Amino acid sequence: MIRLANPHYFLSLSRKLTPWLAIAGILFSLSGILGGLFLTPPDYLQGETVRILYIHVPTAWLAMGGWSSIALASLVQFIWRHPLAGIAAKAMALPGALFTGLCLLTGSIWGRPTWGTWWEWDGRLTSVLVLFFLYLGYIALSRSVSNYSTTSRLPALYALLGAINLPIIHYSVLWWRTLHQGQSINLTHSSIDPSLLWPLPLTLIGFSCLFAVITLFRMRYLLAHAQYEARLRRMAAL
Amino acid sequence: MQAKHQRLILGIIALVAVIAAGFLALIAFKKQAAYFYTPTDAVKAHLPLNRNIRLGGMVERGSLTREKDGVTIHFLVTDNYQKIPVAYRGIVPDLFREGSGVVADGHFEPSGSFMAETILAKHDERYMPPMTQQQAAATQTTLQEK
Amino acid sequence: MIGAAVFLPILFFLLVAVLFPFAVGSDRMILSRTGSGVLWVAALLASLLPIDRLVTPDIENGFFDHYAARNISEEWIAVARIIAHWLSFAVPLMVALLPASMLLSLDWSVFWKSEAGFLLATPGLAALGVMIAALTARVKAGSALTALLLLPLAVPLLIFGCGAVDGHQPGAFLLLAASSLFLLAVAPFVIGAALRVGQEG
Repeated sequence: MIRLANPHYFLSLSRKLTPWLAIAGILFSLSGILGGLFLTPPDYLQGETVRILYIHVPTAWLAMGGWSSIALASLVQFIWRHPLAGIAAKAMALPGALFTGLCLLTGSIWGRPTWGTWWEWDGRLTSVLVLFFLYLGYIALSRSVSNYSTTSRLPALYALLGAINLPIIHYSVLWWRTLHQGQSINLTHSSIDPSLLWPLPLTLIGFSCLFAVITLFRMRYLLAHAQYEARLRRMAAL
Repeated sequence: MQAKHQRLILGIIALVAVIAAGFLALIAFKKQAAYFYTPTDAVKAHLPLNRNIRLGGMVERGSLTREKDGVTIHFLVTDNYQKIPVAYRGIVPDLFREGSGVVADGHFEPSGSFMAETILAKHDERYMPPMTQQQAAATQTTLQEK
Repeated sequence: MIGAAVFLPILFFLLVAVLFPFAVGSDRMILSRTGSGVLWVAALLASLLPIDRLVTPDIENGFFDHYAARNISEEWIAVARIIAHWLSFAVPLMVALLPASMLLSLDWSVFWKSEAGFLLATPGLAALGVMIAALTARVKAGSALTALLLLPLAVPLLIFGCGAVDGHQPGAFLLLAASSLFLLAVAPFVIGAALRVGQEG
């Protein structure tokens, strides 16, 4: 753990890890998507439309998982002042926003034929849209803060503040009567029939790997940027 | 007083405030700040006629009728306690069918029926292939017959 | 100088109430139906205006260092700052709500509900404003950044506030109070932490 937190060790490890994660991500995503498109039976109610589930559900999980990870990394950065945790948090914002956008987009496409509307201001949809704007706000803040320090802990505070939205998203379908249906899957039970369920873990693993690849790329960029800044500062001091 | 102690006092106050906030939210959720009214709520609330509201529930089985013009439909929305007749003119979403969930946006007529301007279909969190659904329905009917 | 700055958000708020009838026409039915929502949005946007002078000038003139030297924690200074901001922003806003409601021909019942809603929402909005001000105090942030940071977090206040005025959502006042209370509870710690982090440079 301590060795991993060393930026040099981290860089060499991430360089080795990135291609494997990319290959795994593409393979898992493709097999899940193809399986979901051609091999699973249609839903009894929705017919073929249900197949968008294999993209929509993992993006929704990663949208929330992304902010949870940012908040966790921010907490680590805030308490133990570890710069790598801060860089990880900043790096996850871009893929997080990307997957939240995809989640909203696929949800909207799914909503049109099934519910009969592209968009509806119900609790679940609204809170996920708020999450999307929180991502954008966090990215904007960390960008303008990094004008003077890449490792500032100010964005971490915003990430922790924004984490309040996560339970709201999760419980929105229970607290309010929403148009969005309730939760299908929890740790012990799934109300998706096994014959329709199996591609979902594949796309989830695949998308998570792709999320990790983007994060590692961003971390390497941010580390390089921080080193460049430090070098500039040393040169200015001379 | 030390800054640490000051923070501690404020922390306790904040904790009380957060608990109070949670408590208020809990009471509020019992009252249900709802995205739509169920038929029971709608009957209880005595809603004004000119006001647009959302009515949600199940489309009662066997209640769906279509007028001769082909685009005007009538059905009953139910929550197993109350039933409200709904009229709608237009194209319904694919998932709109008897025994399935529906959210209708519109207003009440003086006659007590609901005039819908838009119809949204609501589905539940279960997904399964058609075969299993037929089996499930079959077992349900056999159970009912017994 | 400072006195004029205090009234800018209020003038902005009233200006929206003046402009809105120009935009939708002076149909009293439409105005009174949509007016309260417009005033909520106007209040939210008005709250963005004073943000850049809530914390930055105090940092520049050493206000926080002065109190830190007297061993008063940043969290309590934050509490004082929130109260001061609420007094200078929310109280005039609630006064301005009366002429604004008249301009939009709101019913008296709607006006009183809005007033109650503002009373519950503005402490949370003030806390949120000072939080965002502290987070962006040392950043050369445009007003676009403060808007992007503040507005998503203010969405619950807007939804429950308008829901409460609407009158057909039981519990909206309670949820409004709960959101406001939560923001007030976390604000001093976020502000205190942001001020200390900012000092590290």
